[in-house]
Amino acid sequence: MISAAQSERIDWEAALVQRARNGDMRAFERLYREHIGRVYGLCLRLVREPSTAEDCAQEAFINAWRGLKSFQTRSAFGTWLHRIAVNVALARRRKPAWMSQPAASPEEQEELEEMEWSLDTPVEVSEIEAAVAELPDGARDVLVLSGIYGYSHSETAEMLGVAEGTCKAQLHRARALLRRKLNPESTP
Amino acid sequence: MSDLGSRNGSPFNGAPSSAGASKVTSLRDLPPAIEPPRDLWPQIEQRLGPAVKPRAPWVPVLRARYLATAAALVAAVAVGVLIGRGLLPARPGGDLASTTSNTQMLPAAFVRDPRYLRERAQLLQSLNARLAALPPDSRQKVLASLATIHQSMREIQAALGREPGNALLQEMLVDTYQDEMRVLTTVQEASSPSGEI
Repeated sequence: MISAAQSERIDWEAALVQRARNGDMRAFERLYREHIGRVYGLCLRLVREPSTAEDCAQEAFINAWRGLKSFQTRSAFGTWLHRIAVNVALARRRKPAWMSQPAASPEEQEELEEMEWSLDTPVEVSEIEAAVAELPDGARDVLVLSGIYGYSHSETAEMLGVAEGTCKAQLHRARALLRRKLNPESTP
Repeated sequence: MSDLGSRNGSPFNGAPSSAGASKVTSLRDLPPAIEPPRDLWPQIEQRLGPAVKPRAPWVPVLRARYLATAAALVAAVAVGVLIGRGLLPARPGGDLASTTSNTQMLPAAFVRDPRYLRERAQLLQSLNARLAALPPDSRQKVLASLATIHQSMREIQAALGREPGNALLQEMLVDTYQDEMRVLTTVQEASSPSGEI
C-alpha cells in the first residue's frame, strides 16, 4: 500500500519525469539525485567493482535520458531505471551460462514461497554484503534483485531476461550458499 | 575474490545502516541505496550536453486542466491575433532557471521585486479594459487561463507552507508567476489600439 507521503513523492516524480521528457535537464538532475543511491547500489552489487559500478550507473542514466520518450508514465520510474541499470550491468559481463540452467524443482519452489527468508542469528551488514558479493553471478543477480530490492520472481526474471523457473532455482541456490557462508556450523 | 570481500575498505562501508543497526537478519534490512564515492552527475551532464537543447521551463505539471487551458489560450492567441511578434516579456528578475544554484533563490525575492510588482499591478489594473477589447472567445480563454494559474499559485503556496525548503516548489511558483506575467503582457499587446499585434 502506498502511503500519503509516498504518493506525494511519486506525484512530484511524475512531474519531474514530465519535465525531463520535455528536455528539462534540471528536472532530470533531480531525478538523478533522487535515484543515484539505489542505482549505484544495485550496480555495485551486480558488478562488484566500484569503478565499473560508477560506469554502469552513469550509463544507466544516460540511457534513461535517451529513452525517456518511451517511458510509460503509468509505471514506476525507479523500476524502469533499475531495469536499464540491470541491462547495462549484465552487458558488461560475458553471456552468463547460468541463464540456461534448469528451473527450480517442486521442493525448491515450495521453499521459495517463504518470501521472508532470514538468518538464524544477526550478522554484520558488511559481512552479509561480502557474502552476497562472493556468490556466483547468477545466484547473486537474483538474490540482489529479489532479496534486497524486493522485486517479485516475475519482475526479477523479466529484468534478467530469464525464465521464472530459472530465476527461482538461482534464488534457492543463492539462499543455500549464503546460509552456508554465514552459518557454516549449521550446514550438515 | 571480489573487492567486496574485504571487511575494511569495502565499498559498502559507506552504506547507511538500516535503523541504525549494524547487524541484520534479513536481506531486506540491507540498505538498497549506496552513495557513489563521487558525484557522477557532472560527467553525465557532459555526455548528454551536446545532444540536449533544454527548453525554458514552462508550466508545472500540476493540473492537466491548466495545460489544456493554457494550450487553448496559446492556440487562440496564435490563430486570432498575435502573429509574427516576440510577445513574451523578458523574465522579471532575470532567468532564474538557468542554473541549478538558482533554485535556492526564494520565490519571495522574485515576487517582491519592486519593478515586477509595479508592472504586475499596472497590468492587473488595466486587465478588464483590455479584455473588453478582445473577441469573446479569446476573453473567455484568457480568464480561464488566469483562473487556473491563480489556482496553481494557491496550491503551490499551500504546498510550500508544508515544505518551505522544497526547491522544486519554489521554482514552480516562480514559473507560475512568470506564466501569469506572460499572459498579462500578451493581453496587453493583443488589445493595443496601435494595431501592432
